[in-house]
Amino acid sequence: MAESNKTGFWAMLRRPSAKYSLLTLLVVGFISGILFWGGFNTAMEATNTLEFCISCHEMRDTVYQEYKQTIHYSNRTGVRAICSDCHVPKDWVHKMARKIQASQEVWGKIIGTIDTPEKFEAKRLELAEHEWARMKKAESRECRNCHSFEGMDTERQKLRGKKMHDLAKKDNKTCIDCHKGIAHKKPKGMKEDDEDE
Amino acid sequence: MNKRIASLAVMGAVLAMGSQVATAAPDWSKVPKKEINVFHPGVTPIEWATKKAEHSGSAGLKKGETCAGCHDEKGQLSLDFKRLAGKELEPKGAPKTMTFPVGFQAAYDANNLYVRLTFKAPSGAADPSDKDNEVKATMLIANDKVPQGDQVGCWATCHQDARTMPGADDKKTKYVKDGAYDLMQWRSAKGAKAADGTVTDKRAMEGGKAGVTADGSKAGDTYTVTFTRKLAGGVALAEGKSVPFGIAIHADHASGRFHHISFGYKLGIGADGDVKATKL
Repeated sequence: MAESNKTGFWAMLRRPSAKYSLLTLLVVGFISGILFWGGFNTAMEATNTLEFCISCHEMRDTVYQEYKQTIHYSNRTGVRAICSDCHVPKDWVHKMARKIQASQEVWGKIIGTIDTPEKFEAKRLELAEHEWARMKKAESRECRNCHSFEGMDTERQKLRGKKMHDLAKKDNKTCIDCHKGIAHKKPKGMKEDDEDE
Repeated sequence: MNKRIASLAVMGAVLAMGSQVATAAPDWSKVPKKEINVFHPGVTPIEWATKKAEHSGSAGLKKGETCAGCHDEKGQLSLDFKRLAGKELEPKGAPKTMTFPVGFQAAYDANNLYVRLTFKAPSGAADPSDKDNEVKATMLIANDKVPQGDQVGCWATCHQDARTMPGADDKKTKYVKDGAYDLMQWRSAKGAKAADGTVTDKRAMEGGKAGVTADGSKAGDTYTVTFTRKLAGGVALAEGKSVPFGIAIHADHASGRFHHISFGYKLGIGADGDVKATKL
């Protein structure tokens, strides 16, 4: 009784509705849910496009130009891996975690951490090390969305590829252990300790 | 009369010596030839090759793999020549021809090892600074103390702080951290003596104990270089042994690191090897 007499937004939300039927509330809630969820995911997917990634000059003028020279951008079969294919997990939980982490990158954009080529170069190693650590921790999960040892016929590779992949399989290595600097320039000053976990 | 006998005896002795030398020289037409591709390596010293950040194949090296084991694919070099010739690995400029084949033959008898190299030396050197020699041909043989000597060939002698490397001391020669190499070199300059040298903590172009002699000639555009060395002496060679070796050609007046080199291979002397020396 006392509850229904209270005023204010929170009290209004908590008060049972006498005006709308349960069906109306359910239908409106359901549709709103779809719209919200769809909108949320659409917005999140929009941040996964190549266009979004290179809408900032920090990426467009540096790593994007390097990536355009590599096989992940242009190749015989026409299968292209864009930024998010390698840098954003596909599954929802890990994707959300990465997106939340990426909010830090928005802050970096606002304060201009890497807004000149010089600043970018000075930060290149540190940024790369963060990404290598993430990839290593995830056992190259994003690489393995397309590549796998199971699907790899090393007999059809060049000798040096075959030997290294056979060795990697034996030693439980993962893609990023060796394949650093394949889509962007390798930073200078890479530490050997980083290499051999 | 006595004088005549004496001079005949001397003549006989000279002829006998001559015939001995003649029989010692192998009939190269009966010695199998292996084609070894040499290439311009850019600035890729042992420090580069063993650093994973630079060369992912260093993981293979650590596991005992040889350079040739990955990069020599059925006699063809499997290398990224574009990268080797690029600014990062070759800041001074790469030669016009990055790789060419060298015919390699080896034979031995009770005393000596004979090696013959045949090749067409390409022009278009990036650093034609050796005014005296148009061409130099070199062979290194490692002893069993050289770290990774049977894996890396000449690379154990090649360091980033050695002369002609970017920013290196111009007086510091190639060297090896442990063990030793015998070095044989033929130089095309008229009257140049064969180098019977070593690489230890420094490179010496003479003072080797292998009694090296070398002959070279050019017919048309093909060079033929023949080395003769003692089996015993320097890096001890003997029947039943296989030894790691590498070859290098300085073409078109090239000097220092601007050579075309081979990976390391094994020379089998009456033993298994990438190249088996023919017993005479």
